[in-house]
Amino acid sequence: MNKTKVLVVDDGVEFASTLAERLQLRGYDATAVYCAEDTFAAVKSEPPDVILLDLKMPGMSGIEILMTVRTFAPDIYVILLTGHMDIEKEIEGIRLDNFDYIMKPVDIKELTVKIDKAAEKRKLGRE
Amino acid sequence: MKIRDKLLLAFGFYIFLAVVLSFFAYKEMQAITTRITIVEAANDINNKFLDVRRYEKNFLLFRDKDSLQELKKNLEAFKENFDEIGAEIVREMGFDNYRMIKGAIDEYEYLADRINERGSIDKMRSRARDIQLFAENLSKKERENINALLVRSKVLLLFAMFIILTAGGVINMKLAVSIARPIRDLEEITKRVAGGDLSGRIEVRGRDELSSLGVSFNQMQDRLQDTMKSLELAIKRLHEKQEQLVEAEKLASLGRIAAGVAHEINNPLAIVNEKAGLMQDIIEMSGDFQNKERFLSLIHGIAGSVNRCRVITHRLLGFARKMDITVETMDLNESIKEVKGFLEKEFLLKSIRLELNLMDGLPKINSDKGQLEQVFLNIMKNAIDAVEGGGLIVISTAAKDENTVQVSIRDSGPGIPKDKLKQIFEPFFTTKGREKGTGLGLFVSYGIMKKLDGGIIVESEVNKGTTFIVEIPVRFRV
Ligand SMILES: Nc1ncnc2c1ncn2[C@@H]1O[C@H](COP(=O)(O)OP(=O)(O)OP(=O)(O)O)[C@@H](O)[C@H]1O
Ligand SMILES: [Mg+2]
Repeated sequence: MNKTKVLVVDDGVEFASTLAERLQLRGYDATAVYCAEDTFAAVKSEPPDVILLDLKMPGMSGIEILMTVRTFAPDIYVILLTGHMDIEKEIEGIRLDNFDYIMKPVDIKELTVKIDKAAEKRKLGRE
Repeated sequence: MKIRDKLLLAFGFYIFLAVVLSFFAYKEMQAITTRITIVEAANDINNKFLDVRRYEKNFLLFRDKDSLQELKKNLEAFKENFDEIGAEIVREMGFDNYRMIKGAIDEYEYLADRINERGSIDKMRSRARDIQLFAENLSKKERENINALLVRSKVLLLFAMFIILTAGGVINMKLAVSIARPIRDLEEITKRVAGGDLSGRIEVRGRDELSSLGVSFNQMQDRLQDTMKSLELAIKRLHEKQEQLVEAEKLASLGRIAAGVAHEINNPLAIVNEKAGLMQDIIEMSGDFQNKERFLSLIHGIAGSVNRCRVITHRLLGFARKMDITVETMDLNESIKEVKGFLEKEFLLKSIRLELNLMDGLPKINSDKGQLEQVFLNIMKNAIDAVEGGGLIVISTAAKDENTVQVSIRDSGPGIPKDKLKQIFEPFFTTKGREKGTGLGLFVSYGIMKKLDGGIIVESEVNKGTTFIVEIPVRFRV
């Protein structure tokens, strides 16, 4: 069982499910969820190695979800999905370790590199 | 001289002229009066002697005592008259003649006392003729004298009239000119002022009230002209500022719209990207089937277009979202070098000559380093695109004034035609073709410089090259 476990969080079902499927095809254990509650439940039941988190979500923003997740899974690795580059402002005041971001539309190769890097880091942290 | 003084002087001159003329006229009249008495006296003498002759004739006719008596009485009167104007007679007829005639008169008197002696009468009559001739001559001469005097007076009078007319005329003319001309000038120039022409100046002559009025008027004109000039300048600046503001506002709203559209497009674009990606994944993993390659190349085409869209939306969103500015103290020259290092490869590839004129001691500035470097990068990239291989790019930094520094990036490229100059800052304006340029580089740079309180100025000449000047405030204030 050394498949990297990825949780894709995005309110856009089409986007999240398709991305999850593509990741599965590339050998990741990827699941997609579409709201905050499902995210918390999923993290609690089966904590993933990496969360791909959309910055813009209805109701709870990506940042808020990130902060909440961090309360019970502090060292979880998060990659933010954003529409633009300028997220420095929004992530101000957040612990920046175990964190990365990538812009939508996503280049799949770039994304897998980031996920692998995160998984690597996480493994190192465990040892 | 003051106008009052001028008038007083002219008036004084007239009075002086009148006094002089009156004096001469008086003298002339006196001379004439004297002459008239003399003429009358000469006439008297003549008449008296005629009386003497009449009694002389009577005596010869009647030989009576009475006639002789009367003759003597008249002779006495004649002598008296003669002595009265003796001096005048001497002057007029000469002393010798006077003495001779005086002798003749005495002889006549002597002979009249001895009238009854033989031969007396004849002698008397011969003397009487001499005397009578003399008296007539005297009278005639005096009349001639007075006539000459009258002629002289007439001439003098005419001459005086001539003098008065010419001198008075000249003085009046001068006076009128010295007063009327400045007024006329003033009137003329005031008319021009009313018509909006402020260039007229009064020619200042002399030092009277009108010339001091002229001096003040000229000063007023200077002032007015200066004020008008600065007013025109201010209006021109206002127009320019207004145009800039309108332009900036236009770009800002364009930016907002573009960003809104980009945002809306971005999510569906992400989905297209994933779906097409998944299709590609699945097809690649499937075994060979009819048209597999064809599908793959079609998907490749979709991916390429998505990529291009992504570049555009990212730039637009980045621009629109980059409202926040991170101010830090930075060395502009260092930043330029950094950006230059970033583009080193492309300079080499096109064998572009690059000149750096970085000012020593350029003040450190407070600004957003990342965004400024973005601007320099965009402009330098454009310069690289513009010049042919072997072209020249000059990058200089300078302090414009104590509050502003500037970076100028000059290239030897083809330049930008005048009618395109305004458009280059608009989003999506590009001449590089859909594949190469998005037309957002300058739009984004312009927006950044606006946010940073600076600006971008372009100077371009077709076939000569283009210079972009980025002006940056030394201290950025929110
Ligand atoms: N140095 C230059 N010399 C000549 N033309 C220029 C220069 N800089 C800009 N331009 C003109 O201005 C246009 C707009 O420039 P801008 O940087 O905004 O877009 P782009 O370079 O075409 O595309 P992008 O920068 O998004 O890749 C260019 O297409 C070009 O026609
Ligand atoms: Mg450009």
